[in-house]
Amino acid sequence: MAVSFGKRHFRDVRHGLGQRLKSLIGPTALLGPAGIWLVLFLVLPTLLILDISLVPGLRPEDTGGAYGLGNYSQVFNPFDVAFDIVYLKVVGRSLYYATVATLACLVLGFPVAYWLAVMAPRQWRNFLVVAFILPLWTSSLLRAYAWMSILRPTGLLNSLINGVSSLIPGVQLPTTAWLYTPMAVFIGLTYNFLPYMVLILYASLEKLDISLLEASADLGATPRQTFWKVTVPQTLPGIAAGCLLVFITSMGDFVVPTLLGGASSTTISRLIYNQFLGITRNWGLGSALSMVLILAVSLAIALLLKYGDRDSVKEA
Amino acid sequence: MPRKRSLYSTQFRRLGPTRRRFLQGSAAAIAGVTLANCRQNIAVQPEPEETAATPTESGGTGDGVLHVYTWADYVNDEMVQAFTEKTGIEVIIDIYDSNETMLAKMQAGGGDAYSIIYPSDYMVQQMIELAMLASVDKERIIGIDNIFDKWQDPVYDSGNTFSVPFAWGTTGLLYNTEVITDNPEDWDYLWDNASSLSRRITLLDDVRETMGMALKSLGYSYNSTDPAEIEEAYNKLVEIRPSLASFMSFGFEDGLLSGDLAVVMAYSVDALSSIDEDDRLNYVIPVSGSSVWTDAMVIPTTAPNIDAAYEWINFNLDPAIAQLNTETLFNATANKVAFDNLSDDLKNNEKLFPPEEILARCEGIAPVGEASAIYDEFWTRVTSA
Repeated sequence: MAVSFGKRHFRDVRHGLGQRLKSLIGPTALLGPAGIWLVLFLVLPTLLILDISLVPGLRPEDTGGAYGLGNYSQVFNPFDVAFDIVYLKVVGRSLYYATVATLACLVLGFPVAYWLAVMAPRQWRNFLVVAFILPLWTSSLLRAYAWMSILRPTGLLNSLINGVSSLIPGVQLPTTAWLYTPMAVFIGLTYNFLPYMVLILYASLEKLDISLLEASADLGATPRQTFWKVTVPQTLPGIAAGCLLVFITSMGDFVVPTLLGGASSTTISRLIYNQFLGITRNWGLGSALSMVLILAVSLAIALLLKYGDRDSVKEA
Repeated sequence: MPRKRSLYSTQFRRLGPTRRRFLQGSAAAIAGVTLANCRQNIAVQPEPEETAATPTESGGTGDGVLHVYTWADYVNDEMVQAFTEKTGIEVIIDIYDSNETMLAKMQAGGGDAYSIIYPSDYMVQQMIELAMLASVDKERIIGIDNIFDKWQDPVYDSGNTFSVPFAWGTTGLLYNTEVITDNPEDWDYLWDNASSLSRRITLLDDVRETMGMALKSLGYSYNSTDPAEIEEAYNKLVEIRPSLASFMSFGFEDGLLSGDLAVVMAYSVDALSSIDEDDRLNYVIPVSGSSVWTDAMVIPTTAPNIDAAYEWINFNLDPAIAQLNTETLFNATANKVAFDNLSDDLKNNEKLFPPEEILARCEGIAPVGEASAIYDEFWTRVTSA
């Protein structure tokens, strides 16, 4: 009795293990390559940055140093002797640029995506979407240079403004210096990242249930009410995802603020660049600033995901 | 029958080199961010074994490939071709836009492929201190006697133990004579005309050059280590910042020619090649003095192809090549024989070869040791606040 029980028990266990192993093979095979990739090229490098950021003022030729929070306190702690408000100013400026660019992309991108997904002729739809993301096929560096020639004082934009005002007698439209101003950075960032926003909103709006809009109208809602109470809640995950992508990428963008921004437009990516490639080669501080950037972006992700999820759950 | 005008006719080619330098320079700036193939951990000195990765598939000559890391437009295609024909060594040129960028890439282990680099004087000194340079074997060098006496024993590398002087130049003001007609003479011109030239001025995106210029215009040294003097220079730069379009080390030519920019701070080598393309531009070495720099050829300790490196140095020490260099790229050669062979026009060009009384007021940039932290602090405030 005891023996046969043991055998059966053993067989059961083996069977269970086999099942469990089998059920593991699928996910492992599917997630393995991506997982290894992420660990090797994202998690480990980030940990390395964290490690370097915890050694105050580490330079590449140093053979190591004592761990401490000096790099961070230089940025955040006003009582530290090395504290300089300029770092926080730069972080604030980066947040400001990214926020404005994200809102601009949303405001400009939503009508386009809505038109593409709901109103554009079906046979043209794919073509139009491709046409809209076509600018992404060129390098962002070239696009920034294109904007430089448009925005400079004798550039296309001011020529256009002068041309228009010469057509209207008695009216002189004002031309301004666009290049090397925050405005130029907003324009450049918005132009760069608008296709991403449109693409994501399009994907979300394409799934919009038109019958719900009709029902809303039947029940006496005004178009505005329908938009805010039916369309927007349904696309909220898409809006959150689009904003997230634009915010993160414009927060870390280096090219646009550097080329279009002028003498006082340093953003955090430029500041980090200066720490690594500048005169002091303060890799410790540079890494700490990188961690601040990573943290700010993670915080944005967490907030937006939470916000997006809660509302879509509520609607459901 | 006249041939059809092609895209490469002179009219279109005129702006070629400038645009190329512009894009090359910015590509270098962007590439610098990524610290390409940063294989080494921080604080680990590059190991020689790592250099085995250098490509060896050349045209079967067995001489391999020479990777050269240099400034934008410091080497032209003609020269590279002549070198390859002469030696059978294939040359690959990579470029950087500042000494600091180059140093960071080398320290990160991203520069293991390079056998020749062109650091400036103070950077040669710094790299020697960091033990990054291989000493130059004088037995293998041909023609170093042709170098001017004053570079036979330079302050940054006594006896040229680790470096071979290549060319020199100055830093000054490049301006459009159609916009600025009153002949600027000194750095203070920028401050005196700040309001009328608002957003039409650029300064070099280089901490030592630009802070040094402010120091010099206040009567101090480019290499001041006195925090009070550096702060004074900082305050002077803050004063002019609202009138600045940007801090940029390249890419100002188009803006200058269209009148969008009026006057920019530039290296003589860039300024003179811009003037060569368009004579509306002019260059002036400020009377209160500017920086005079020397770029040298060095072999890093990690160099994979030392033989090719010596071939390259000897090729560039050839007076004919040095002469070609000055004639086409407008760097002032350090080679006496090459200088003597130049046309009188070039020899007497005071923008290219300033007379001794002007040079006497200029200064070479030298390492400032611990004070570099002070420079960086104020520079960060100037460019970021």
